[in-house]
Amino acid sequence: MTRGDGPPPEGERHAGEHEVQGIAFRDPEEPGTAGPHPRGATGTGLDGPGRDGQSPPAPTPAPVRRRITWQKLTFLPAVLTVVLLATWLWFRGADLDSIARNSIDDGNVWLRLRQHIYLTVVSTFFVLIIAIPLGILLTRRRLRPAAPVVMGVANVGQATPAIGLLALLVIWLGIGTRAALIGIIAYAVLPVLANTVAGLKAIDPTLVEAARGIGMSPLGVLRRVELPLAVPLILAGVRTALVLNVGTATLAYFGGGGGLGDLIASGITNQRMSVLVLGSVLTVALALLVDWLASLAELLLRPRGLEGGT
Amino acid sequence: MPESSAAPPPRGAKQSPAGPKPSGATIVLENLTKRYPGSATPAVDSVNMEIKAGELVVFVGPSGCGKTTTMKMINRLIEPTSGRIRIDDEDVTDMDPVKLRRKIGYAIQSSGLFPHMTVAQNIALVPRMTGWSKARIGARVEEMLDLVGLDAGEFQGRYPRQLSGGQQQRVGVARALAADPPVLLMDEPFGAVDPITRDHLQDELIRLQHELHKTIVFVTHDFDEAIKLGDRIAVLRERSHIAQFDTPEAILTNPADDFVSGFVGAGAALKRLNLTRVRDVPVVDFPTATIDDPLQSIFDKLRSGTTNELLLLDRHHRPYKWLRRGDLMRAKGSLARAGTLVHDTVTRDATLRDALEAVLTDNTGRVAVTGRRGVYEGVVDMETLMNSVQQLLEEDRLDAVEHQHELEEQRAHQTRQEQEGTTGGQGGRP
Amino acid sequence: MSFWEYVGNRHAQLLADTYQHASAVFQCMVVATLLGVTIGVATYRTEWAGNLAVTSTATILTIPSLAMIGLLIPIMGLGVAPTVTALTLYGLLPIVRNSIVGLRGVDASLVDAATGIGMSRPARLFRVELPLAWPPILTGIRVSTQMLMGIAAIAAYASGPGLGNEIFRGISSLGSANALNQVLAGTLGIIVLALLFDAAYVLIGRLTIPRGIRA
Repeated sequence: MTRGDGPPPEGERHAGEHEVQGIAFRDPEEPGTAGPHPRGATGTGLDGPGRDGQSPPAPTPAPVRRRITWQKLTFLPAVLTVVLLATWLWFRGADLDSIARNSIDDGNVWLRLRQHIYLTVVSTFFVLIIAIPLGILLTRRRLRPAAPVVMGVANVGQATPAIGLLALLVIWLGIGTRAALIGIIAYAVLPVLANTVAGLKAIDPTLVEAARGIGMSPLGVLRRVELPLAVPLILAGVRTALVLNVGTATLAYFGGGGGLGDLIASGITNQRMSVLVLGSVLTVALALLVDWLASLAELLLRPRGLEGGT
Repeated sequence: MPESSAAPPPRGAKQSPAGPKPSGATIVLENLTKRYPGSATPAVDSVNMEIKAGELVVFVGPSGCGKTTTMKMINRLIEPTSGRIRIDDEDVTDMDPVKLRRKIGYAIQSSGLFPHMTVAQNIALVPRMTGWSKARIGARVEEMLDLVGLDAGEFQGRYPRQLSGGQQQRVGVARALAADPPVLLMDEPFGAVDPITRDHLQDELIRLQHELHKTIVFVTHDFDEAIKLGDRIAVLRERSHIAQFDTPEAILTNPADDFVSGFVGAGAALKRLNLTRVRDVPVVDFPTATIDDPLQSIFDKLRSGTTNELLLLDRHHRPYKWLRRGDLMRAKGSLARAGTLVHDTVTRDATLRDALEAVLTDNTGRVAVTGRRGVYEGVVDMETLMNSVQQLLEEDRLDAVEHQHELEEQRAHQTRQEQEGTTGGQGGRP
Repeated sequence: MSFWEYVGNRHAQLLADTYQHASAVFQCMVVATLLGVTIGVATYRTEWAGNLAVTSTATILTIPSLAMIGLLIPIMGLGVAPTVTALTLYGLLPIVRNSIVGLRGVDASLVDAATGIGMSRPARLFRVELPLAWPPILTGIRVSTQMLMGIAAIAAYASGPGLGNEIFRGISSLGSANALNQVLAGTLGIIVLALLFDAAYVLIGRLTIPRGIRA
């Protein structure tokens, strides 16, 4: 995080103070600003003069947009914390029989959660290294005629149900993490690819022309102009992939890939509501958290000057 | 008081004193003010104005001067903060705005046609909302298209995007006029079309107004457009303060202050030429011959005539060539080769500016005036033009002085009345 | 047994499943469309309300469908109820978002013109704003439908209706001869249904979008 991002939270700390506490992202990333702004200062409010002397002179364009975004960003983790806490408390008080106990014992919950995260992260990585270069290739002049064909195939692919695709892969490749991973990846490549192509196509052609006009090589145009301008859309693609993959990963259980789907499915088949709820709440929390992290990345990585855009 | 519209100095082209009774309505704005929350100064500050029935008033001023805001308060698209609006002596300030707007035509920049409706559907909107019968609506749509110069059969089934900008604008005007409202508001309606089309549309509007006599409030930032169209022009400065509200002639010859003269810009005398039509100056006869006349009679005419030139007409009596005495000799008696072609003619509706332009391009010191189907009617020459302009400018000057005098008297009269406690006289003609 | 033999043998069952699948998706789409457009109409004028509607529906979409169904079962039990609820909820987002974007995207000068020629607020909404926003709303409906096709398959695990049952039957009998046929029948059935629905939407678009604003 750059220094320019430091000051805006100053104003926000009043409104969001309680929600902000304990959220890890701020403290380690802002060691510099955490020091000069001790608790007390926040408490005493916006007494201008003293503050002006201390804070770095970074002129903050701090637009209203951003302010809202920061509040939104602090809202979700707070809600998640409360929900998880409530679930934990309820779970501790719940009466568990042996079947339910079986499902959650021996660190099974922790194992499923780790599996789920693993599936999500690995699949997202592969989705990105497949979809983004493919998207770039499809927008190059030579391959552009192929784009409608690929997008057409992609649209039919979109109509394929994830569970069906996964089941077919399991039958073909056998039960296991590999089939599950391939299924998850195959399912998410298309939306991200579509995003990337749309993003690159949406770039104002006069900009590309201008870049070529000042003597940039095709690679230079791509690297210096097109990709930076498409960053917001690529980031949106990353977010889409992550969220999709968290969802599809719940189905990995049916292909023997584990994950939190295991808790939900066994909750349903064994009619154990406590297990079912625990699995569902954890999945929901993980999905929302991943989405939240992705939105944070979008906010921080988006090039300056493109902030107004979507 | 609709009769009063005949009283002000007649403006040859635009107002025929003996014409039909105007179908328009008077509009009176009293202390009309708009104040937006959170801004210290009002956007429109206490505007007082009386617009006569059948008059075309142009609001002109720099962008952001509040001219559009003022206009939109007349149909209450923007609700005034204070002040009253009267249309035909009826206070409409608190009337149901939806009902009010159905009695006021509204045409805006880039036509505002609904893209999902055909031309006919667009025009039929207001009549349908006011509950006309189907047959009457159908007839009205055709009548309106005809009125704005579009072929009903060809255009009514089209969608707006299948029309050119000028055609869209015509349909926009047709829609605004469909329910025959007495008042028409036009918000820079010709702002988004190319200059040539704009010129056509302006001519068309003049023609329409000549037929319909609506009360029209027209907003523009183009002063030339204001001069061309307006019976009276309100030059507005910031917060819609009226810098001058007068006839175009008066504003051109006698701007009230530096702001107005700055807005009028250079070339006021040239602009004055736009305000007079060919029909207002003497059109004189000129010796003519047709190409079917025997050569001998043409020779005779050229020799005996007072001028050494004549105008050769074609079979349909349209001006064809200017013929000088020596031309026939040089062409060895061939009419086909002799003389110079007529490049440009004007009609009686053309402005003096158009006439001057034609005189200069045709290089003969005169221009032929034509009537229906281009038939020759006479000529206007350079001398006539110059004399007329001189005379016009002189008259304007006298008028303006007199008018100012009148205004002062009127103001004094009004103050007296107010001091005596009688309710404000409307218009208070001395 | 080949795939076609399987389909031939089980066509009654398959047709019933297909019908149930289509009918569940269709009914949920009708409800989601009415609800979504209503939410859009109610919120698009206000900045915060519109954004809240989009954000909350987007959050719902973020939740994996299996987890959503898992959360609904304790409240509604197994079967049709949680399926229908989940499908409707998921169907909302694209429709709400596109309604708001579409309604907000209507050219301000057209709304101004509509007001200026004396249209009342409902007239403006039904005669001008909704017809002009209809193409993006229809796109939203298409996207929703396609998504619901897949989610309905998953809902079969919670005893929901439709072709998902075929797929899960195949999964539970992995290794048996029929597993592939079952999964394939279910999957292909859903793909065909999705494409049919899509074609229907293209047709609806042709019939309902005035030529003047068709792309």
